[in-house]
Amino acid sequence: MSALPRLSTIFLAAITTLVALLLYSPLFVPIVSSFFTISHGNVDWSSPTLSTYVALAENHDILVALRTTLIVGVCTVILSVVSGTLLALYYHGRRSGRSLLQFIIFLPFLMPPIISGLALLIFFREIGLERSLLTVVIGHTVFVLAIVYRTVLMRLQSMSRTLIEASYDLGATGWQTFWRIILPNLSSAIVGGAILAFALSFDETMITILVTGTQSTLPVRLWAMMRLGFSPDINALVALILMFTVLLCVLAARFLIPRQVATERT
Amino acid sequence: MSETGSTLPAERRLSLLVTVLAFALPVIFVLVPLAIFLGYSFFSVDQGTIVYGLSLGNYIRFFTDPIFLPVFWNTIVLCVSVAIICILLAYPAAYFLTTLKGRWRYALLMLLLVPLLMSYVIKIYAIRSILGLNGFLNKALVALGILQEPSTLFVFNMNAILLTLTLLLIPFAILPIFLSLERIPQVLLRASDDLGASGLQTFLRITLPLSLPGVASAASFVFVLAIGDFLTPQMVGGISGFTFGRILYSQFGTAYNWPFGAALSVALAVVVIAAILIGERFGRNRGISV
Repeated sequence: MSALPRLSTIFLAAITTLVALLLYSPLFVPIVSSFFTISHGNVDWSSPTLSTYVALAENHDILVALRTTLIVGVCTVILSVVSGTLLALYYHGRRSGRSLLQFIIFLPFLMPPIISGLALLIFFREIGLERSLLTVVIGHTVFVLAIVYRTVLMRLQSMSRTLIEASYDLGATGWQTFWRIILPNLSSAIVGGAILAFALSFDETMITILVTGTQSTLPVRLWAMMRLGFSPDINALVALILMFTVLLCVLAARFLIPRQVATERT
Repeated sequence: MSETGSTLPAERRLSLLVTVLAFALPVIFVLVPLAIFLGYSFFSVDQGTIVYGLSLGNYIRFFTDPIFLPVFWNTIVLCVSVAIICILLAYPAAYFLTTLKGRWRYALLMLLLVPLLMSYVIKIYAIRSILGLNGFLNKALVALGILQEPSTLFVFNMNAILLTLTLLLIPFAILPIFLSLERIPQVLLRASDDLGASGLQTFLRITLPLSLPGVASAASFVFVLAIGDFLTPQMVGGISGFTFGRILYSQFGTAYNWPFGAALSVALAVVVIAAILIGERFGRNRGISV
């Protein structure tokens, strides 16, 4: 593609810049307003302030919602990592029934969240389970399970069988092989899957709105507040969440992209 | 993992437990809820309580009531438009990425994908403020002399939903297109060049056809995500921007008719499954291994 004419390169670069601007403009607005006052669409650049961050630290509602989100996220990660890894270990190398059950696991991820959410809502009602944080955690786990499962399964498939065979040949039991050979080889895939699961759970809104009880997670709390308009401290929260998400993203990339590939390509 | 023949009883019990769990978990938490949901679509509501008698009433209402089919159709058209705009923007960007070398390529890809991880609700809110009467878009258009005065054309209507969904979903179009472009063997392009094809000819006859699977996946991703969204239309659609997702959601809130909502979901699921199957059918790479 080196023979690409100069003009078309400029055109492509221009469109890419436009796309980047379009994607970042909605993030730019709250971040700027977290440091500057905006009135009637005009930014007052003269007086940067951290007052929004101070106000955020005193916003009890938001902090409680943030804590709820973190609790839900951690529970979701634990449940989805344990069951996703078990499922991947179970289905790896097994042909019978795998494609059907794999399809079932992927359904909630492929279907629009409104369908998964409503199906769970009716299900919880039929089995008499009150809507609470427990139902939210179940909803999130069902949603992110496919991601963890797939990440772990792909690593398992790229793992050499001879490693496991060697372990058995040397007299290790099934348990020993699992703890000392399989698990260490899977660890980075598991960590990467866990980070992705947490990120998805952290921002999950549509399923949560449908299956949550009285306690709301941060996105649901924001959704409720949005109808009335946001107070300035929300902008501070957005800026902080953005930094946090970028950090998570970099971490996930570190664990999911194999080291050799990363160095080969640079 | 059962090669050892002489497994301990404890291990055998554990493996039995794992087998049961491996089948039970997906079935109980995914299949059973969906089956109950499907069942609900045949029930009805009488004075606020659900009647558990089977009937096709909900489906007949969906097809005969003059409200639902037009909204359903308009929503499909809206989401197809979103998919098309997303692809028109994402394709050149993805193509540009593949012309870059090494580290830059992935750094820029990352840059274009990170906004996906940002809070959905916050993005909708920010986009609404950009599109609004005092928003940045109106200011820019007035400053450029395209508009005489700020317009309400971009907020609380179908245009607003179209623009907002497009902004939210572009990254979902970039990734599959990028992956399919990246997979095209460089030798093919060099061969085409050697045989005297111009850059445009190479693009039209080699690159474009080979990247169409990625375009198909991108279109099906964006379409499915757009049609299932009920938050965005609710927030930026106002009164006139009525989409299928909103009607569906309202059956579980204000309208309180769960069985009818379940029937509407079945209609939505049919369209979504069709979109996924089409994306899958055309999204498969057919023999470009060189």
